[in-house]
Amino acid sequence: MSQLLQVSALQKNYGQHEVIKNISFELKKGTATALIGTNGAGKTTILSMLAGLLKPTSGQIQHEGIVGDPRAAIGFLPQYPQFNTWLTASEFLIMAAQLNGLPAKVAKDESEKLLQFVGLKDAANKKIGTFSGGMKQRLGLAQAIIHKPKLLLLDEPVSALDPAGRLDMMHLMKSLQKEMTILYSTHILNDAEQMTDQLLFLKDGHLVEQGSLQDVKAKYEHHQIVVEFKEKVEAARFVESSTLSAEQQGAVVTLQIATMQQVIQELAKGDFAIRKVEQQSASLEEIFMKVANG
Amino acid sequence: MMQWRVLLQKEWRDHVRNLKILWIPIVFVLYGIMQPVMFYYMEDIMKAVGNMPEGVDMGITDMTSADVMASTVGQFHLIVALIVILSFMGVISKERKNRTAALLYVRPISFSAYYLSKLSGATIVALLSTVLGLLASFYYTMILYDEMDVWKCAALIGTYSLWVLFVVTVTLTASAVFSTGVAGTLAFLLTYFMQLIDSIIGQFWTVSPWKLGTYAITWLVAEPDSSDFWLSVVVTVIAILLLVIIGIWGTRKNVENIKI
Amino acid sequence: MSSLLMMLLPIIIIQFILMIVALIDLVKIPQTNGPKWLWAIVIVCGNIIGSIIYFIFGRKQV
Repeated sequence: MSQLLQVSALQKNYGQHEVIKNISFELKKGTATALIGTNGAGKTTILSMLAGLLKPTSGQIQHEGIVGDPRAAIGFLPQYPQFNTWLTASEFLIMAAQLNGLPAKVAKDESEKLLQFVGLKDAANKKIGTFSGGMKQRLGLAQAIIHKPKLLLLDEPVSALDPAGRLDMMHLMKSLQKEMTILYSTHILNDAEQMTDQLLFLKDGHLVEQGSLQDVKAKYEHHQIVVEFKEKVEAARFVESSTLSAEQQGAVVTLQIATMQQVIQELAKGDFAIRKVEQQSASLEEIFMKVANG
Repeated sequence: MMQWRVLLQKEWRDHVRNLKILWIPIVFVLYGIMQPVMFYYMEDIMKAVGNMPEGVDMGITDMTSADVMASTVGQFHLIVALIVILSFMGVISKERKNRTAALLYVRPISFSAYYLSKLSGATIVALLSTVLGLLASFYYTMILYDEMDVWKCAALIGTYSLWVLFVVTVTLTASAVFSTGVAGTLAFLLTYFMQLIDSIIGQFWTVSPWKLGTYAITWLVAEPDSSDFWLSVVVTVIAILLLVIIGIWGTRKNVENIKI
Repeated sequence: MSSLLMMLLPIIIIQFILMIVALIDLVKIPQTNGPKWLWAIVIVCGNIIGSIIYFIFGRKQV
């Protein structure tokens, strides 16, 4: 896979305050990357710099194979997209397309197609002032992709939406993944887990961890083994007899530093009545907590 | 050019749907009519009110068309400054603040197309209002007082339109460079306030944009001193061009300050 | 006095139109800066200036 964007040693200061500190990463063509971090970690600042709305203090953003104004090849959905309320959805989209250089006729056709795609066909000729938050978000997505950009930047695309809206939006994003490279920020890790080739963990302006979902998961795998006994007393007996460090909670025992083999041997020795034994992998949520706190 | 057209269409929709194209001309026409009518009936009104001392000549009945138009233009100075500045001081700065600019600036737009579309939109509304207001004033003045030469009226309207264009450009450039509040204050100081200063101590020079109002009125009684008038026009046009350049520069510079 | 009325009539009519335009807009607009009933009073009692102030400061439009 060839790369689309190369970010090296990106830095943004506001006076003495360093908001983004020496960040480097790359985006491969046709991949989806999740930018993960708490509020104020610098996600919006990074996306704004990539979108050309903020100038980096230092560092480089290199777009591969793009000649001229890089903004032409980028689509951007801000976290709080705001529209002129007195325009209709269709008028706004046609304007957006034309500003991206599409001829009037094409702009009109594309806007109709996209309004259908994001489910706003019936609201095409309504004033945006009457739109709900979810409708604005979908119109925001439409304006970001109307010129078929190579790179799509989405700032917290789902966090303001209700569960149904979130599902809709994730669905739309997934269907775009084939056509464009996507970089989106989120603090909802369940969403990130559903659609990501690469993870970027951001903390206080630092990139503290990056890699593919599998790599990151493998790295933070904590080999936690959970044994569920039939009886509470059985669990207690096991903890008593075992040489492994174990934690008991009712009939469930959790072993942090142990292999499956060790556990099974120990279980066989005492002839315990068990319900099930399983190895649990870390969720992205737990990894994030670990990364953010360590 | 295409971007300018597309963005101007947005400005036009703004001014139509937010009724600027309706209420501003109405107000200008109202003030344009009010002045001649008030003067004409001042004496009647005074008598009706009943506090007109016997034998006092107000001098109102001796007024000529030129006098009435001069006072209309005098009124217009304040109305133009207040309404044009208050209506348009936020057209660029507010878009930065209310996040709508973000969705425009992420596209490969030219900042000159953006600024010029804003300037064109505001100019259409302001000039339309000014011309209609002055025409209404001329019409009433001619009915109530004496006839005036059409060409002189046209010269007054033309000259005054240049002043209005100057006010609009100052306002938009201030909005491009500064926040809304600062822009409004600065535009008021640079237009109405400077024009007042010019009318008080301006006898020492003859060429300045702030003299355009005076020259506009002069067309009715006598032709203004030709070289002074045309030099003022040239200076104003140059000032407008400079303001346009500063406005485009300010728009580009302020990309950093938009809310995202 | 009747000729005075004839001359004042256009002013009164235009002023009335301005007020009606402002009132219709006030009813249609979703939001104003401050309560709508207050703006209604300003428009009706404030003559030309009332309508101007409403259009400049009353409308809340992005």
